[in-house]
Amino acid sequence: MERDLVEYIAKSLVDDPQAVTINVIEQERATILELRVAQEDVGKVIGKHGRIAKAIRTILSASSTASGKRVSLEILD
Amino acid sequence: MVHEFEGRTEKDAIDAAVKELRLERDGFDVEIIESEAGGIFRKGRVKIRVHTNEPGVPKEKTHEESGTRVASYKAPSGGIEQEPAEPLSVDDEAKLIEFTKRVIEGMGYSSEVAVLFREDRKLGLRIDSEHASIIIGKKGKNLDALQLLVNVYAGRLGREDIRVILDSENYRIRREEALVRLAYDTAEQVRRTRQSVLLEPMNPFERRIVHTTLNDIVDITTKSEGEGLYKQVRVHFRGRL
Repeated sequence: MERDLVEYIAKSLVDDPQAVTINVIEQERATILELRVAQEDVGKVIGKHGRIAKAIRTILSASSTASGKRVSLEILD
Repeated sequence: MVHEFEGRTEKDAIDAAVKELRLERDGFDVEIIESEAGGIFRKGRVKIRVHTNEPGVPKEKTHEESGTRVASYKAPSGGIEQEPAEPLSVDDEAKLIEFTKRVIEGMGYSSEVAVLFREDRKLGLRIDSEHASIIIGKKGKNLDALQLLVNVYAGRLGREDIRVILDSENYRIRREEALVRLAYDTAEQVRRTRQSVLLEPMNPFERRIVHTTLNDIVDITTKSEGEGLYKQVRVHFRGRL
């Protein structure tokens, strides 16, 4: 599932894996994943010019979604 | 120009090439692409590829990338001598493989990930999967994203000095060969029309292949245009100097 995928990636990249939380918002046609990490780790999941966030989104869009819904990722700080 | 010849021995194949192309023996480069030694009952067979000097195209550039796999990943040595890095520990290597495999698994695909090559400051990993085409993605987009994450993760392990290269189905090599061909074809077109050509957006690694391929061609210059990671290369006609 996409949630687990984002969680695994985020926990692998941050200093404080305990602080990683993901809120799943199911909509009719889309699923929104809200990723929250420790304040000091925000940069580690976004990256310079958003490169890391963009890579995670690319990976998400290439996942085989069982539901066929669009999945979007939002990083909250 | 590239020609292929076969013979029972290397010498036979070269002799055939000399005869066919009416060349001096040392007027071309030979690359042995297949070689089977003859046995008592079996004839040997050697297949060679001959590179001849085409006007305007430096021969040593024509096909060198198709040589050895591992060598083709090597960046041209830029003159800056670096101390060799401390080799990756077995533990870190296993972690990088595990990370790659688990992200792919999380995407919903099964895969095998193995070491493709180990070089100073570089680790090549090969992904084998029946879903290779989606893992690679259009123009390698997904493979690049995955590679970026693996490299960030390598940094997390304290190895910012190591670059991890992911490949699947020889995509990187095939892409590199395609780019070299594209570069030459574009140079040819630019020379003919005297009009500059803007290539599609490429990542820095890909742009560098285009720049270095055309670097030795005197009447052609290349320049990157645009902003961000995916810039475009413009190929210009410069004329004889």
